[in-house]
Amino acid sequence: MLETWIGFGQGPLFRLCLALMLLGLTRIFLLTIIGMIEALRRNEDKIIPWKDLIGKTISWLFPLKRLFNKRPVYSLISLIFHIGLIIVPLFLAAHLLLWKNVTGFAVSAIPKLFADNLTLTVIICSILLFLMRLFYQPARAISRKQDYLWPILLIIPFLTGYICSNGSISPNAYLLLMLIHVYSANLIMVMIPFTKIAHCVLMPFSQLVTAIGWKFPKGAGGRVIETLGLKNRPTWVEKPRLVYEDLTPEKEEVSV
Amino acid sequence: MNRVRNFKMILWMIIGVGAAVGVARFLLGLGSTTNLSDNTPWGIWIGFDVMSGVALAAGGFVLTATVYIFKLEKFHSIVRPAVLTAFLGYIAVAFGLLFDLGLPWNIWHMIVFWNPHSPLFEVGWCVMLYLTVLLMEFFPVPAEEFSFLSKIRKVLIKLRLPLVIAGIALSTLHQSSLGSLFLIMPYNVHPLWYTPILPVIFFISAIGLGLMMVTFESLFTAWLYRRKPEVDLLEKIGSAARWVFMTYLVIRVSDLLIRGQLDQLGSGQWQVKMFWVELAMVAVIPTVMLSFRYVRTKAAGLMTVAITGVTGIVLNRINVGGLVHINRGETVYLPAWTEIAITAAVIAGASLVFLYMIERFNIWETRPTDPDASPTQLPHFHSVDGTWLGTPGISARTKYSFGFIIAAAFAFAFISWEPAESRGVDPTPVHQARGGDTLWIDGNRDGFGTAFAHKEHIRRNGEDKSCSKCHHMNQPRDKNTACSQCHNDMYLPSDAFKHDWHSSPNGGKLACVECHDKASIRDIDSAKKCDYCHKNLIPQGSLIKIETYEANSYAEAMHMVCIDCHVQVAVEKEKPVLSRCETCHEGQRDLVDADVLIKSKSDLVGKRMVLPPLSRSKCND
Repeated sequence: MLETWIGFGQGPLFRLCLALMLLGLTRIFLLTIIGMIEALRRNEDKIIPWKDLIGKTISWLFPLKRLFNKRPVYSLISLIFHIGLIIVPLFLAAHLLLWKNVTGFAVSAIPKLFADNLTLTVIICSILLFLMRLFYQPARAISRKQDYLWPILLIIPFLTGYICSNGSISPNAYLLLMLIHVYSANLIMVMIPFTKIAHCVLMPFSQLVTAIGWKFPKGAGGRVIETLGLKNRPTWVEKPRLVYEDLTPEKEEVSV
Repeated sequence: MNRVRNFKMILWMIIGVGAAVGVARFLLGLGSTTNLSDNTPWGIWIGFDVMSGVALAAGGFVLTATVYIFKLEKFHSIVRPAVLTAFLGYIAVAFGLLFDLGLPWNIWHMIVFWNPHSPLFEVGWCVMLYLTVLLMEFFPVPAEEFSFLSKIRKVLIKLRLPLVIAGIALSTLHQSSLGSLFLIMPYNVHPLWYTPILPVIFFISAIGLGLMMVTFESLFTAWLYRRKPEVDLLEKIGSAARWVFMTYLVIRVSDLLIRGQLDQLGSGQWQVKMFWVELAMVAVIPTVMLSFRYVRTKAAGLMTVAITGVTGIVLNRINVGGLVHINRGETVYLPAWTEIAITAAVIAGASLVFLYMIERFNIWETRPTDPDASPTQLPHFHSVDGTWLGTPGISARTKYSFGFIIAAAFAFAFISWEPAESRGVDPTPVHQARGGDTLWIDGNRDGFGTAFAHKEHIRRNGEDKSCSKCHHMNQPRDKNTACSQCHNDMYLPSDAFKHDWHSSPNGGKLACVECHDKASIRDIDSAKKCDYCHKNLIPQGSLIKIETYEANSYAEAMHMVCIDCHVQVAVEKEKPVLSRCETCHEGQRDLVDADVLIKSKSDLVGKRMVLPPLSRSKCND
């Protein structure tokens, strides 16, 4: 019974989730590009600082320089976490069979020992990141529900996978864990393009989108003023601007 | 407008399924993604996409003729959608054909390598040329929007009349030639459908279908965009279509009568029921319903007739295209879901382009406006997380692409990614020749064979000693074994050596090493030859030398054994008639090329009867 469901999860369901993930990522990639082109066409100011943007994007993609600037521990954990997250599912020997079944070809696998250690590292990093998000106030302030969900969700397949390949457990427990492993991994694949994990393809655009998004169509300011009915009134009101410090706990306590 | 959006969403999802299947079709090939086989190489893609697609697009030439040749200006308002339908229909045909062609990248071959004897060549050229004509006919409409195209537009409008005439000529040619394609299959197409006037029937039904399609398209888009249906115009079209269908009915029935095939209707085959359904839908129901003014003046009535007529003629094309072919094989063709998905996706794609065109260009007198696009309309929000989805255009794009990927992913999961596996040619078992002094040799009992004067051949070749000249094998406990014992398939070579019987405990009860060398690999080279055990297997003085264990096909063997002698004797006795096909296949002039003189064995290779021997697989037991 369990074998049947595992087989289903590794066969048609895996194909479905894989297709959804790849197509969904392609979709969001293309939608972003189209959106950017449209916004750029509409905008009054069409100048984009390409050199600066490309430099920034590359420095975020390979954060070696930024690694020890600010919050070095977090940066390091996050980096290791990402490396493990990509390498283990793609290059584990047992997974390569799956890839081969679906795509017809596979590359060579990573050594078992390395994979095991990397898995443990990912699990530990994931827990640490979750705790960090939970207890570090600035991180909590910008967190949504899915931000708490993801580290926990990611632990499930890694943990079950590790136990299944290393622990000596009863066959029934093995099957159950395998079932959880397969289905949680499928769930993750489906969720990737529809949640924040889509940053795996949108990352290169993050700087560019910001650069384009903060330019406005011609006459936008005038239209906003008109819509708000402020045409004949002074529009500039001197008020303290909302700054990052407003969100820090000390300031909050003072205001309370 | 919600109607339009929902409809577009459905279309996008159908395209999503089709896209996934299309990828699989080109990655895995036809064999593993379709139910097409060597027996039925033409399936729904030809019957529906090509044959019906071309006929469905007939409205273009019918309406251009009506307006520009017969000057019935009142139909002017539906010419543009009709031409657009035709244009997109032909593009869909060409696009759908690419999936069906085994080597689609060779589609241009017909332009360079001419085969003027082939109706398909004519159809191909006509479709290609007519597609060009349609493009030139339609191009002025989108060109209105772009000022830099105005010169081209003016030229094309001046050329309109010659274009319309060319379009009518080309349509007449290829609409009928699609019927001519099947004239070469008198023994395949069921006699209720096969007739020498198939081209005429195809042409007339194409006109009827074109009119019905114009009606359907007009009413459907009117419903979709909540416009007032153009019933007054469509009533006149329906009135004209009534006469077309009546003509079709008369011709179809009188053709059956003249050919004397009406008694087929009592034969109780399932094709007869199909015939009745088809005839009712194509001819009887539309003719009767359109005769009532009440039906003609109601949108619902016209829609019913249009759907019936369109379905009926599509059914007719599918029937002629392959469904009612008399299948000699064992397998029955039913289209796989993948084939249907591709067909649906091609249609959906064409429909989407059509909708885009009527929203973007002046296909109608007034363009449909999108109420969602008006500034008073509330913006779209995501139903789950409340994100603003942007302006209606952007939100539509987001939603359609979502539908597309969901559908494509599900299709991808459902496709079986099994490797292609050939079902091969269906075996055709051979029956022994019947008769006494004269034998009737007809291996597959299809009525086409030869009356072989067995006794006369024995007498002329030296009575009892003559047997071994032809009978080149005496099977154990037999003498002058019958041909069909070893050559036991009509078209496929077979193995004269029964390996499995020899090794079976119920048969020869032989251990491997009794025939094969102990030390070497057990294959044909390490095995003892037949005459090690079986004495007198090969009789002395045989004209045929046995070189392999492979017995070639019955058809080939029969021809080979006769022709050797016949050609020789024809030269010796100066009787060329002996090497003529018709000498043996007497009274079957329509099947054999009566004037051909066979001069050697090789003259037969490539003919219908004789297949080149297949390469024999090695036995590595």
